[in-house]
Formats: sequence, C-alpha cells, structure tokens
Amino acid sequence: MDFDRELIVRAQAGDRSAHETIVNQYSAMVFRLVSRFFRNREDVEDIAQDVFLKLFARIDQVRPDENFPGWLARVTVNTCYDELRKTRRRKEAIETYGPEIAGGQTVAPREPDSLGRARQALQRLDAKLRIPLVLKEVEEMSVEEIAKTMGLTQTNVKVRLFRARKKLQAMLGGPEGDSQ
Amino acid sequence: MDLKGIANNPMNKFFESERKRFFEPDAFFTQRVMAQLDSAKKVARGQDFGFWDIVPSSTRPVLALAVMLILCFVIVEMFIPQYPQRGMVESFLEPEQSPTESILYTDIDVPSQDLLQQLIEPED
Repeated sequence: MDFDRELIVRAQAGDRSAHETIVNQYSAMVFRLVSRFFRNREDVEDIAQDVFLKLFARIDQVRPDENFPGWLARVTVNTCYDELRKTRRRKEAIETYGPEIAGGQTVAPREPDSLGRARQALQRLDAKLRIPLVLKEVEEMSVEEIAKTMGLTQTNVKVRLFRARKKLQAMLGGPEGDSQ
Repeated sequence: MDLKGIANNPMNKFFESERKRFFEPDAFFTQRVMAQLDSAKKVARGQDFGFWDIVPSSTRPVLALAVMLILCFVIVEMFIPQYPQRGMVESFLEPEQSPTESILYTDIDVPSQDLLQQLIEPED
C-alpha cells in the first residue's frame, strides 16, 4: 500500500519510470479482466493499452490513499463496457444494413455444443447484465466488490445478477424456458 | 436463482472453462504503452511542435535554402529604390517624348503645380 502510494505520487508528478512500473505491475491484472469480456488477443491488447492511456490521463484524480487496484479495475470495466456497447451497435448495424447473401440462401451454422451455446447466450446478454454476471461467476467477485467496481449500489447489482440469470436460463431452455 | 444450483447447467461448465481462459501481456507490452503515452503527450502539447517538426528531415536542407533565398530576395527588394517600369513600348517612344511628356508617363514623383499647369495649357 505504501509502495502504491509512493508510486502514485511519483506518477502524478509525471515520473516516466513510475508510469512504466505501474504498467509492468498491473498489466497482468488488466489483461485478465479484459479477457473475461473479449476472446480475441488483439482486442484484449488494444483495450488494455486504452485502459493505461486513460489511467495516466486521469492520474490526477487518483487519491494516493485510495485502493489503486480497485480504481484501475473500475477504469478497466468501464472501458470494456464502452467497447461492448460499441461492438453491439456495430453488429446490429451489420445485421440491419449488411450485404445480403446472394440468392437469399444462407449457410446453416454448425450446431454448437453446450459450451458454445452457453457462450452465445452470454454474448447475447446486454453489457449491463453481462458484466456483473461475469465478474460474479468468472472473476468470483463479491456483490460489494462488483458494486464498487461498477459504481452501482449493491441492490442494483443484485437486481442485475437476477435478471441476467433469468435471461440466460430462458435462452438455454432451463426451468424458466421449459415452463413456457 | 443460483446457476450453480441447477444440475447439468451448461453455464457452470462454461464459467469454469472461462476461469482458465485469459491472455497475458507479452514482453513488449510496457514498451508499446510507453511509446503511445509519449506520442499522446506530444500531441497534447501541440504548442511544442515547431515548424521544423512537421517537415521531413530529408527535405529540411532544401527547404532551409529556399526560405533563405526568399528572405534575401525580400531584403534586397526592400533596399533597392523602385523605378518606374520601362517596357518595350516606352523604350520605343522615348526618342519622341519631350521632357514634360516623359515626366507624365514615366516619373513616379508628382510634378509641381506650375509644371502641371504648363502641361495642361494648350500648345500654340
């Protein structure tokens, strides 16, 4: 913690070696967190770079006695959220305005296995439901940690987790889906 | 409604597999971030960009020579007094012009009032 505090103070003063140390020390954490939402290595690397550039642009806002890894996780999750929303909008635009397949014939997609179906179901979830669910189930964060990371109240996180699970079950034909 | 409590839920297996799947930064990641940070700082300090920073280094000597020649030309032009322009027509007509006509056509200085009066008056 003392090491972090000194590092932050040096980084705020514009010390290049402090910036370098921060990237060295926290890049693995940022990569792991971004990997939870993106499957392509290039995407993960681009977003991780973006996270550090945002971090150093706003380093003055960090209080040296604050939990720095928590703050960095928040910047990372917010960057992922923005990127997921952009990706979703691009995908919708391609689906709406993209070129039609010649002759109106479509190639039947290969039937995905259970993991593939789960992945597709998760990807269809809205980013504001998907992020807390992934943080809870994959990163194994507590509701309190998710609330701090996403800047939400704990009740809001619980509601989002409930909705995300309900939607997933409906998509995968679980108890909710079977009953309909 | 806990996903872990549902038997054979594909999401449980999926989340387990996701926990093991993550990328790690390569050895040059820090260098790339620092390079991007340096260029971002340079762009942010736009005023630090001088004229020569936007000129490619290979063309700098040529451009410097051109700028120097233009400056020399401007300085010389400032110090040499301007003479009225003498084209081909003026050179051809010169022998037939009287001194007063010459003043009218070629002299840049304004003639005196008496001289003007003299020029205006009809010749006998």
